[in-house]
Amino acid sequence: MRKFFRHLPMKLWLLLLGLVAFAFFSNDFGLVDIQKTAIILAAGVDKTEEGFALTAQIAVPKGSDRTTGGTSSVEIRAEGKTVSDCVTAIFTETGWVPKLVFCNLIVLGENAVKEDAVAYLNYFLRNDYMPDSCLLAACAGEAGELISSVSAIDDASSLAIEKLFSDAAVKSGRVVTVTLKDFAIGYYGVSKSGYLPFVRMTGQRGGQNDSAAPPAGGVAEEKEQKVYSAEETALFSEGRMVGLLSPEETLAFNLLKGKVFAGTFGAEEQGEPVTLTVVKNDGHVSLKKGPTAELSLSVTVRLCCRGVTAPVEDVAADKVTEEIVKNARETLQGYCEKLFTTCKACGCDVFFLKRALYRSSLKEYAAEKEDFLGRLEPVFKTEVRSMR
Amino acid sequence: MKKIAPRQVLLFLACIAPAGKLVLLPARLADVAKNDLLFPLLLHICVQTAAVFCVLLAAKRETGFCELLENTFGKIAGKGLALLFSAFLLFAALLPLLEQKHFVQSVFYDTLPSVFVFSSYFLFAAFVCAKPLSSFGRVWDIAAPLAAAGFIGIFLLSAGSADLAALAPAGAAGAKGFFRGAASACGWFCDAALLVPLLGKIEYKKGLAWKGALCYLAGGAAVLLFAAVFYGIYQETAVNQLFAFAATAKYFPGVTTLGRIDYIFTFLLSLAMAFYVSLPMQGSVDCVLQAFGRRKVLAPILGTAAGALFFGLALALDYRFGDVLTVFSETLFWIFPVFCTVLPPLCLVLRRPRKHA
Amino acid sequence: MKTVSGDLKKTRDALKKLLPAEDVLLFDFTSEKGLAFTCVFADPVSDKEALGEEVVKPLLRYEGGAKAEEVGKKLAFPELKREKSLEKLAAEVLAGNPVLLWEGMDEGLVAGTKKVFSRAVAEPPTDVALKGPREGFVEDVKINASLVRKRLKTGELRIETFEVGRRSKTAVFLCYLEGTSDPKTVDGVRKKLGGIDIDYVPDSSYLTHFLSSRPFSLVKQIGTTEKPDIFCAKIAEGRVGLLVDGSPIALTAPYLLVEDFQSSEDYFVPPYRATFTRLLRLFALVVAIYLPAFYVAAQLFKLQFFPVKLLLTIAGSIRDIPFSPSLEMLLVCLVLEVLNEASIRMPKYVGMALSVVGALVLGETAVSAGFVSTPAIIIIAFSGIGLYAVPNLIEQTSVLRLAMLLVAGSVGAYGVILATAFILLYLVTTENFGAPLVAPFSPVVGRDLKDSLVKYNLGALPLRPKTLKSPNKRRLG
Repeated sequence: MRKFFRHLPMKLWLLLLGLVAFAFFSNDFGLVDIQKTAIILAAGVDKTEEGFALTAQIAVPKGSDRTTGGTSSVEIRAEGKTVSDCVTAIFTETGWVPKLVFCNLIVLGENAVKEDAVAYLNYFLRNDYMPDSCLLAACAGEAGELISSVSAIDDASSLAIEKLFSDAAVKSGRVVTVTLKDFAIGYYGVSKSGYLPFVRMTGQRGGQNDSAAPPAGGVAEEKEQKVYSAEETALFSEGRMVGLLSPEETLAFNLLKGKVFAGTFGAEEQGEPVTLTVVKNDGHVSLKKGPTAELSLSVTVRLCCRGVTAPVEDVAADKVTEEIVKNARETLQGYCEKLFTTCKACGCDVFFLKRALYRSSLKEYAAEKEDFLGRLEPVFKTEVRSMR
Repeated sequence: MKKIAPRQVLLFLACIAPAGKLVLLPARLADVAKNDLLFPLLLHICVQTAAVFCVLLAAKRETGFCELLENTFGKIAGKGLALLFSAFLLFAALLPLLEQKHFVQSVFYDTLPSVFVFSSYFLFAAFVCAKPLSSFGRVWDIAAPLAAAGFIGIFLLSAGSADLAALAPAGAAGAKGFFRGAASACGWFCDAALLVPLLGKIEYKKGLAWKGALCYLAGGAAVLLFAAVFYGIYQETAVNQLFAFAATAKYFPGVTTLGRIDYIFTFLLSLAMAFYVSLPMQGSVDCVLQAFGRRKVLAPILGTAAGALFFGLALALDYRFGDVLTVFSETLFWIFPVFCTVLPPLCLVLRRPRKHA
Repeated sequence: MKTVSGDLKKTRDALKKLLPAEDVLLFDFTSEKGLAFTCVFADPVSDKEALGEEVVKPLLRYEGGAKAEEVGKKLAFPELKREKSLEKLAAEVLAGNPVLLWEGMDEGLVAGTKKVFSRAVAEPPTDVALKGPREGFVEDVKINASLVRKRLKTGELRIETFEVGRRSKTAVFLCYLEGTSDPKTVDGVRKKLGGIDIDYVPDSSYLTHFLSSRPFSLVKQIGTTEKPDIFCAKIAEGRVGLLVDGSPIALTAPYLLVEDFQSSEDYFVPPYRATFTRLLRLFALVVAIYLPAFYVAAQLFKLQFFPVKLLLTIAGSIRDIPFSPSLEMLLVCLVLEVLNEASIRMPKYVGMALSVVGALVLGETAVSAGFVSTPAIIIIAFSGIGLYAVPNLIEQTSVLRLAMLLVAGSVGAYGVILATAFILLYLVTTENFGAPLVAPFSPVVGRDLKDSLVKYNLGALPLRPKTLKSPNKRRLG
């Protein structure tokens, strides 16, 4: 016995080393090898007769001998009664273990968002491994079709769509960006409202991808190359899509959030079109007694271009006349009014004013929460300044 | 090993103790107290600050806890009470341990890994338990700045994404939410009790009790700040974010380009937490050692036993963490105030052995 | 104990019996007045020229009596010692000092004409400095002592001599500054040196085993240096130094881990530069130990550690690799260790060829053949370079890197964190000669932090490091 205890720490160390070595060489503790993993870059969810259809865009590594950059991808579509069933189906049909940790875009099809969108997002919201910082969008038609389309500007459609939501795009005021987390907060909050960028795709000839290889695993098939736009915004109330903001209303919405720093919009001077660049934007929507929504907007603009030829002196002077300023103010106010009317009409508290009321006073909230949006009256304060 | 320096105690209270409250507690409080989650936290922090003050004041007498008990209640009763306290610490160790296990499985692995991967923690815990408790002062010297760096990093990356207005309106959860929140959080606030086994091992210097209370309060303020940012980020969905501090920093714009750089800070905090989570276990082993002596023989045996016991519990309760949470926060929550709030002031009235000339 | 008797023949025979080796020679000669002398010396280690010129020649003309004082005066030789014990005389002969015996005298005379084998003082290859002194220790302990004495011209410098090794009788010089070094440390080192019972001491590294509080520990507990300027600076700070005959590596105690992050150059460059390089060394070491481990842990257990584009690149590179990521990394790591080991041991020219073969042919071909992936080679190369940022810790860090790799491949990143916690706990509980290994970080010693990973201006460091417990606290002003 005493012999056993001699050099016990050393023996324990050796035992530990043996265990670690055994674990190292035999390791299979629920780990999924990188080669067996389907790295999902984007997912499109649609409504089917059966339930759900999930189209996953899976990144395919190019191998060590690759000579060009970019990302190859393959799209897999699966159907099931829940999104989880679809994910399982992808696994059983391909042998790849789907991993959502890199999923940076979820697109909901038109049919899906017209029902409760959150039901389609439920799986993603519950999944611990799903990054809730992932971008969310609605689309015209089927999301699966959008995800599976061949982009004219990038290797993978999802990467092309993500470009629409870049920081630069947000600064232009042309699109809204929403993450899974933002949408869930809107839905579960007292406003029960939300919004998503609404993506449309159109055909395009002669894109960058003309010479691109066919998608891995697929048969070379002539597919029309697509470009995407997300200038419209889908409005949601209690998880359902209830309306659509036009590109102008989307711009107004972004201006009211004070997010625009390089956007452009059109105005008129003596009946001729001019384009103005927003160089500074300040906007906010606040709740006043009444209930009244005060929509304050202030933009500083400079002349971007005119629709008619101008003498070189005018180009150099780059003058924003009083008339342009006045017209611009009227245009923007018009957008804001339209935006407010649309939101009110479809019952979407896009500015989360009900939440603001809740946060400011529980008492007032209790008194005013019924038909809050219906009784809400707007006050517009629009100011346009010219950059000197 | 020398005694624990006052600075080391203060570092523990300011930097290590708060780390244990950043994992599951914010989401748990968001579940029961909603946007009022800061109030139950504040209550616990204040109560524990007072309790920490009492324990550190009792440290002035430079007598071990078991010795105090034996001197007040007699040898046998004293040993019995020390064992009871040891049993409480074992009980208190369970929640942070299982919390840590789930945190590790979720944050360090992409797919739910085998329970084996966490078993390495029990080897570590067994080793830690076999070491004298007083040796941990020096660990805190290094782990505390690392934890502070981890916390500051995560906080800085997270703060910009938070909408602190989400904490309004105060009182929305009502008294029920507040009391449920307070009850739920009991299991996470046993820092004063963790200091009790250190009695007699702390080198007391003038003002330590005050400084300790202030440091605990500072650490508590950091927890409050983090909880506020956490709720500000997730708002109504906060209840779903179980592993708070690993989740809040990912919205930082740099994360998109550089990858999950926030994990560096998560790792630093996890390192500090590895020591913090093992502290109740060590305290428990130390109480038995104080009562029965024979440290050289018993320490490795008890350390291994504690490691094995918790490994078994982790296996048995692998799929019942929800039930454990319910037991800790709704059924047996009252045990914590008894040992963590009532016991510390009692330490002050326990009799010290007379010094022989 | 046998002693020298007045009978020369008897003494001569007794000594020859003690030293039967064939290279121990006895040389008999008689002075002009007829006094018979015998000179006993070990042929390979005695300086025969000095012996002939300075001992034998004067004695051939000697006309005095048999008294030792008289003979000694005739020699006028500085290193002369009288000794009665035959065992001690035999030991002196073996050390290279010839022994002189003559008729009618009951003592032997030891002449210090030992042959000195030493290379020239040169810059040590392991500690090259761009700025600052370039002298390095050599194998001869006396030359080393002279290099120390040259720098510390003070009576407070004490050099105590010890003899360690039953058979090697290696000379060990204990150097310290009286009144500056902690007496407890000096006593501790003395005691440990006195207690060493070993046959043979080929190098100073043998002594570190006996001087360490945890002899089997992975971490070193005794400082080492090959440069006299560093050695003297450490002694001047209050440490104790050891010079060992036959070893160019001097030892210092107590040792603090932070010492190996400091280079002599740090004291010759502006403090901001020194701080930067020290932090860089720490960063390089952390990267060297952890990078392969986290790379493997990420591939096996948590892909999210990688940004998606990097992940796809890695996934593409490892697609056709036959090994698992952990095994692949282990193999590359082992190949690097083998290459490293082989290139150090190989003759210079072959070594150069080997590094070219290793770096270009092996690496490139292995990647093309699909044995290993490019990222794995890059990771290991980066880690390998990082290790050499702190050359004194290479033995420890390369083992740690391998250990972390094993842990990461077994249980992932959390295992690495636990292993780090374990090492941390181990480090902070290690003390040697009363100095905590990780001081001034644990325990925190505010004063010593000014010359740790950060380096303050010299003016801001008026006091000696507190951790060393020097009785003479002030070193500046």
